[in-house]
Amino acid sequence: MDFTQAFAISAAGMSVQRMRVEVAALNLANAHGVQAPGAPAYQPLRVMVTPSAPFDALVASGLQPGALPTASVQATAAPPRMVHDPGHPLADARGFVHHAAVDPATEMVTLMSAMRSYEANVAAMNTTRTLALKTLEIGRGA
Amino acid sequence: MNIEAIQAMGMHDEVPGTAAAAQAVPAGAGFGSQVAQGLQELNQQLLASQVDLQRLAAGETASLHEVMVRMEESRIALQLALQVRNRALEAYQDVMRMQV
Repeated sequence: MDFTQAFAISAAGMSVQRMRVEVAALNLANAHGVQAPGAPAYQPLRVMVTPSAPFDALVASGLQPGALPTASVQATAAPPRMVHDPGHPLADARGFVHHAAVDPATEMVTLMSAMRSYEANVAAMNTTRTLALKTLEIGRGA
Repeated sequence: MNIEAIQAMGMHDEVPGTAAAAQAVPAGAGFGSQVAQGLQELNQQLLASQVDLQRLAAGETASLHEVMVRMEESRIALQLALQVRNRALEAYQDVMRMQV
């Protein structure tokens, strides 16, 4: 059946958006983490959504399946946020504390955008489903 | 209406699945075997949805939307089978009402 393909496309989009939500939640959970001066700091993660094949290859193959998005998680090399707090137990020699370089506002916007995009994928899938069910109504009134 | 007429209809309901398939099989895949094969595939799909739901209830499912998508697929397959059955039944009843 043809409709399964449209369902798979929408499901791929939903997977990507779900991963974005998970990564944003992980970043937010680590937003107030503090590292000791010598220890490696928490690196905020970022989801890279790329097509599964280069665009020219997709065009050459006639935009057949394979255009589904794939998501990968990458760590950003942002330097830790330094806060001057000499009384802190983990302050370094100059009195700075290394906070995780997470921007809560950015993560909240990512959450919002992922939610809207997920809803768009659900709407696309529902439309496909309605089409399929409407197709089955052909000739019913006869 | 007498009861024999209704009994006769009940008997005829079972005929298309076996007799039609037996007659048409030598000429290739007949309508009966096609219907049987479609029903078999539909049953497989419904069973897969059932397994998905069991996994979901057991907490083993990684992605909820995959389960929902497969359930919708099997729902559409079931609706399609229902429509095929309605058409076949209508055709059968039309033939039965035919005055010869």
